[in-house]
Amino acid sequence: MIRFLWLDYRAALRERKVWFAVAIFAYAVLSLPVLVARPPAHVQAAMEAWFGARDPFTLFMFMWTDLAMNKLIATLAVVLAGGVLLRERDTGVLPLLAAKPISLPRYFAVRTLSTCGVMATLYLGTQLIGALYFSAMVAGFRPGPFLAAASLHVWAAVFATALAATLLVVVGRRGPGLLAGLLALFSLVGMAFIGFYNPAWATISLLNPISLGVQSLAHLDALGPGVIVPPALALILLTTATITAGAWSVRKLEA
Amino acid sequence: MNAIEIEGLSKRFGAVRAVEAVRLAVEPGEIFGLMGHNGAGKTTLVRMLLGLTPPSEGHARVLGHDIATEVLAVRRLCGYLPADYALPPDMTARQFLAYVAAMFSLPRAEAEARAETWLRRFGLLAAADRRLRGFSTGMAQKVGVAQALINEPRVLLLDEPTSGLDPLGRHELLLLLRELARERGVTIVFSSHILSDVETLCRRVGAMHHGRLIACGEIAALKQQHGVASMDDLYLALVRQEAA
Repeated sequence: MIRFLWLDYRAALRERKVWFAVAIFAYAVLSLPVLVARPPAHVQAAMEAWFGARDPFTLFMFMWTDLAMNKLIATLAVVLAGGVLLRERDTGVLPLLAAKPISLPRYFAVRTLSTCGVMATLYLGTQLIGALYFSAMVAGFRPGPFLAAASLHVWAAVFATALAATLLVVVGRRGPGLLAGLLALFSLVGMAFIGFYNPAWATISLLNPISLGVQSLAHLDALGPGVIVPPALALILLTTATITAGAWSVRKLEA
Repeated sequence: MNAIEIEGLSKRFGAVRAVEAVRLAVEPGEIFGLMGHNGAGKTTLVRMLLGLTPPSEGHARVLGHDIATEVLAVRRLCGYLPADYALPPDMTARQFLAYVAAMFSLPRAEAEARAETWLRRFGLLAAADRRLRGFSTGMAQKVGVAQALINEPRVLLLDEPTSGLDPLGRHELLLLLRELARERGVTIVFSSHILSDVETLCRRVGAMHHGRLIACGEIAALKQQHGVASMDDLYLALVRQEAA
């Protein structure tokens, strides 16, 4: 099963839409220093209100995480997961593969895990290249906290991918399923910083998986395992539960 | 023990009876022909044997395994080529065969060796590392057959396997199937509406019409019984008899 998962991951990496995702991530890396050079006044004011500081790195991290990465993981999760099972059923690949000795729930789990793997690969690759590029282009950039924050946020990207794949198979039709994924993920992304806007909602906002992924932004000066590991574990558990729900929902699907 | 035993297998889709009370046994190493017009129920019957469509009624066993309760065991022993399918466009032929082999948990070296064997056998070695999206219909059909053989199945369920193949490719496939049955004892269910292929390959056939198995037996005996010389005439005679 491990080899099948590995081959499926490699196959998912070779799909054409991965190039689209690479292009979008590259655009984010290249465009952010331009945006950061002249940050919008309302964003700067919000940063001062939420984080109580005029630290340009905090501002950069907010712009990178919320304005770029959060939107990208919501969009690209739907793009990458859009092929899991339903496209294979619609294009006729599934009748061939469903006759093999792997149940559909397990096949869904493998396909979703490998798609999550592709998202994580693209995400982490972007962060590594970004860390190098921003070190040269952004004044006050700190690669250590940047990468530490990414090591948590990547789990939000993985969760988003699992959720998009699961919503697709739960809805059962590609168009509405993709739309449901976009709506759900953009709702979660839209509310991700609600705990920062209003500290009274900070605890309840932790129910939002994307909020868990951005928790490190409140602790940029003291990022350590205590800040990163608990929300990362919560995201891993949520991802597992989401994939399990998707696998359960495909058990009656006919190839 | 028969390789395939079907007892009163039925499938209904709402009010439509796709397959109705089929009883059938196929011996080990036999090439059994399943003939019938489009929509006669051949594909549904084969899909039920693999657990791809749950039966509405009846039972079946493949190599002793119940299709309802031991579906993964059945699939492990079977190779299957559906009538309508597509190959993953972004994989190469070699990658796809390795992928299918991994679904059977074959070790990497063995999977690669088997993929190489079948790619060579089907004359696809030169195209083995090209993406499948560029394959012609005939080449794709050969890859389809190769994936059905990658696990060295003891039962092969082939649904219209010769469609899309040129005359030479068709001839080679029929030779291969005969070889598999004769030398390796593979049981083959050959579903087709190309009756000349059925006659070339099979000793026994079943004819399906509107979901029912209207005749089953040796081709020679069925021809004699209905006083006809060709497979086309035999099929027409069976269908007319059923209608009358």
